Amino acid sequence: MFADDEINILVIVLDVNPIWWGQQAQREPQFTLSTCLDSLMVLANAHLVMSRTNKLAVIANLYQKSHFLYPSKQWKSGDEISTSSDGKYELLSVTNDLFAEEIRNLMDRTEVSGSHTDSLLAVSIAKALCCILNLWFMQIAGQDVKSRILVIKAAEDSTLQYMNFMNVIFAAQKKNILIDACVLDADSGLLQQACDITGGLYLKIPQKIALAQYLLWVFLPDAEQRSQLLLPPPVHVDYRAACFCHRNLIEIGYVCSVCLSIFCNFSPICTTCETAFKMPLPQMAKTKKKKVKTAN
Amino acid sequence: MASLSEEVLLVVKRVRQRKQDGTLYLMAERIAWGPEGKDRFTVSHLYADIRCQKISPDGKAKIQLQLILHTGESTTFHFSNGSTALKDRDATKELLQQLLPKFKKKANKELEEKNRMLQEDPVLFQLYKDLVVSQVISAEEFWANRLSLNTVEHSLSNNSKQEVGISAAFLADIRPQTDGCNGLRYNLTSDIIESIFRTYPTVKQKYAENVPHNLTEKEFWTRFFQSHYFHRDRISTGQQDIFSECAKQDEKGLNSMVTRGVKNPMVDLLLLEDKTLDEVRDCHGAGGRPTEAPSDQASETSSTDGNSRDSDFFQPPLKKVKLQESIEYDDLQGDSGRKTIALNLKKSDRYSHGPIPLQSQHYTTSQDIINSISIIQHEMRNYKPRLTQVMSSNAASSAITALSPGGLLMQGGAQQTINQLVPTDVQIELKHLYTAAGELLRHFWSCFPVNTPFLEDKLTGHLEEMLQAAYSKFQVWQTRRMMRKT
Repeated sequence: MFADDEINILVIVLDVNPIWWGQQAQREPQFTLSTCLDSLMVLANAHLVMSRTNKLAVIANLYQKSHFLYPSKQWKSGDEISTSSDGKYELLSVTNDLFAEEIRNLMDRTEVSGSHTDSLLAVSIAKALCCILNLWFMQIAGQDVKSRILVIKAAEDSTLQYMNFMNVIFAAQKKNILIDACVLDADSGLLQQACDITGGLYLKIPQKIALAQYLLWVFLPDAEQRSQLLLPPPVHVDYRAACFCHRNLIEIGYVCSVCLSIFCNFSPICTTCETAFKMPLPQMAKTKKKKVKTAN
Repeated sequence: MASLSEEVLLVVKRVRQRKQDGTLYLMAERIAWGPEGKDRFTVSHLYADIRCQKISPDGKAKIQLQLILHTGESTTFHFSNGSTALKDRDATKELLQQLLPKFKKKANKELEEKNRMLQEDPVLFQLYKDLVVSQVISAEEFWANRLSLNTVEHSLSNNSKQEVGISAAFLADIRPQTDGCNGLRYNLTSDIIESIFRTYPTVKQKYAENVPHNLTEKEFWTRFFQSHYFHRDRISTGQQDIFSECAKQDEKGLNSMVTRGVKNPMVDLLLLEDKTLDEVRDCHGAGGRPTEAPSDQASETSSTDGNSRDSDFFQPPLKKVKLQESIEYDDLQGDSGRKTIALNLKKSDRYSHGPIPLQSQHYTTSQDIINSISIIQHEMRNYKPRLTQVMSSNAASSAITALSPGGLLMQGGAQQTINQLVPTDVQIELKHLYTAAGELLRHFWSCFPVNTPFLEDKLTGHLEEMLQAAYSKFQVWQTRRMMRKT
């Protein structure tokens, strides 16, 4: 009855860092990029079949760029799409074919690069947000648009993207877009924060070969349905900041009011923006533990 | 006589019942007999109650008619009108023969139907027990709602039956037969006449006007078949042809539709083409063409109401707005120009790193990199999705175990499911209550759209009460449960 009133958008951001996946193929031959792609395709098909108004996008996340696997720009070429002979729902067969074709082309075009081998996660999530907003504008009045982003993470975090990443997370939170994370290898603090802030689910998978099962069980239901289900409890997130001078995690520190950089010890000049601060009076230093100085 | 407001179908005088003279009356829904000279009926039976009728054999001296009721009782009427007795009795018998089946089938069939439904569907039976027996809903309403759910084949009330269309070749099928001597003979059945009336409504009109005042039916049809109208020449030769007007009327109708025309000046006729799967997907796909999609939608919605008469009134402002929309883009306008102060940093790379601790870097040699990339490229070159072999069932079941309560991934969450906490009889009762509540809600929703006063009353008065009754039941149940726990 209400199927037409709700659009559910799922954007999958897949980490296809070829270096990590190549090493993974050597470590564990039974779970390689092909298996991962197959599992993702199963999830994508399931999502599309749940309702006629569900929408899907898939973005591949590489170190040089991030690329839309579906929907792809190649449709306009007017090529004949081979209709499947097994009577499968056409949308699914077309989706799968395009997906496969794009990933093949993408991998073919990959160049070897010595530097910058980290995946550009913030870029992909930003693209995902734009894509969701685009679909948002196409809604008919009275329709409810619910969207979520599922990030499949293979390689480690790239620390250089912190600022961009946080900006993207807060933008998602403002627009009520959930960010879910499915982590294959190493835990990622950034993604844990993202899931916590936006209200999504973070899951580190113990068995990679059962990826499809985890995806369908945990990540297929949308936000409303999740409240009715028993799902893994949220992870405890370590929100402690690291000081800018030593990169140690601290609980209490000093913050410069001009540039907001965090220090573990007081210093009269902020090293980031070179603002000078007044020396603290001795009695204040004893009683107060945390100070925020105003620039004069 | 009592209740003469009923429609009387037949009156038979000099009918004796139990050795008394009287008059027999057949009404729309019942048969009644009253003794001579008295005001009231002593015998009255509804047709629905009568199981069958019997007549005395023809040779017998006494001419009688016997009515046997469902209950087993019987009533005998003796027609003693001398010469006309036999005729009277036969007339009565025939009328009864026509009337009885109508009422009889209704009564029996309904009950049978209901019993059958209750027996076949235990859920329905339970609902019936919960709602009707405990007097939350009256039985009539329950059945009224349920029966309309069932398929058309069980329609007892007079639902309009679906009309069968007219075959395209029916006119060609009315082939005349040569009459032997230079004439043509048309065989007209009532079906054919019906089809002709449906195809040519003007002919029906003419028929109603002219028959039987001016023309007999035979003459009407003769003229019809002779007229040019039927032969599709449509040249109105100005003859005294009653059918030439029909052609003119049809022409007029078509012309008026053409002059009404299309209202919307911005209708994009190209949109009315058939769309291939590609184009349709384009409108829905993401990251495709953001600019085209909104204007597509706008002109589509306008083309659907292009023919309505109201758009005529709103035309000039609509046109302006649309032209405006297609010319300007909001986000390409210049900035509003607020003054800001730039942040002056000496060591800005700290920012990009952010307040996160250093992580141990994995160092990969360039040889490793080259190897990995070539492995992946090789693998992906031959990639074909094999969705049926995505994982083994062992892997899947171990994943499910890990995700079930108490499993590896579920430590620390709220763990008890409802069906472990609650005993079975309570669960069953809850299920019954739930289905009963659902049934009430269905009654509620079936009252919309409210277009009779009965429905309105039902909604505001009756159904309110029923829902209240259901709520209070649930309340009782809940307090009982609470007390049981404490």
